Amino acid sequence: MRAFIILLLVLNGGYASAHQWTPTYPKLKPSHVTGVYTTKMELFNSRKEIRYYSVGVFDKDWNKVPFVTSPSILRISYLDKRLVDIYLHKKHKNKAHYICSRSKILSSVRDPSIIASRICSKIK
Amino acid sequence: MKKPLIILAALLTAPMLVSATTPISGTVASKCIVTTDTDGVYGNPSATKLSTATTDGGVLPIIRYDIITASAYNAKVTTPISFSSSPSLGSETVTWTGSTVANQMSDAGMSVFNTNKVVYNNTSEFPLTIAGSVWFDVSSVATYGYNKAFPAGSYSAVVTAECIAQ
Repeated sequence: MRAFIILLLVLNGGYASAHQWTPTYPKLKPSHVTGVYTTKMELFNSRKEIRYYSVGVFDKDWNKVPFVTSPSILRISYLDKRLVDIYLHKKHKNKAHYICSRSKILSSVRDPSIIASRICSKIK
Repeated sequence: MKKPLIILAALLTAPMLVSATTPISGTVASKCIVTTDTDGVYGNPSATKLSTATTDGGVLPIIRYDIITASAYNAKVTTPISFSSSPSLGSETVTWTGSTVANQMSDAGMSVFNTNKVVYNNTSEFPLTIAGSVWFDVSSVATYGYNKAFPAGSYSAVVTAECIAQ
């Protein structure tokens, strides 16, 4: 029984893959451009089957808020970490509520059941 | 004569021993980690049904959430209501059902996640009020038309796992 549990843990441990998006509560601060606010997010990809993530900014009702980041679709390798600069115009600063990253699945992927992950941080 | 020499040797080597220590530092930040523990597989127990239930020959997708800070995030799991890829299904309707349950947990108190679960449309939302790791089992069932057989081919559907800061 113990051997079976260890085998299960080993198999699961080797297979598990994760998505991290930090910090939980980012703060917007003035950027070097007048009237533009910025914050820095960090994306970590340990999902072997995922290479692309999209970034989005939303208000409290989940409507899209205009923002700038470069690029908006991030290509990120397995076990890679990426710092993402988000820029918002001051007129959208108080409207923006969530900053989210979402895994993108290539149309060529034909797994029977695919899991898409999305993590949203809340602007404080 | 020997004793002072031994003491001198001990004094000389002592600083070298102290300098061999190497500090390791780290920070634990509040975060939510979404881990795809097991990808699901649809079983085909009858011609009209695709199901991830083990009893139907499928494999339940399992998603793990690691929470560093209690009451900082909500977990949202959305089961599929369409295939991301499939053979042509014509005009027949596919009926979808699905559910999500916290099955394994690092803290027994996390069973409250199931009690406080809110279900709307095809989404289950769990307030993550206790820090630790929790594994959610996701079930998905697709039934085709009225006693119609699914056309042969491969079928894929997407489960969405979200972690939303509170």
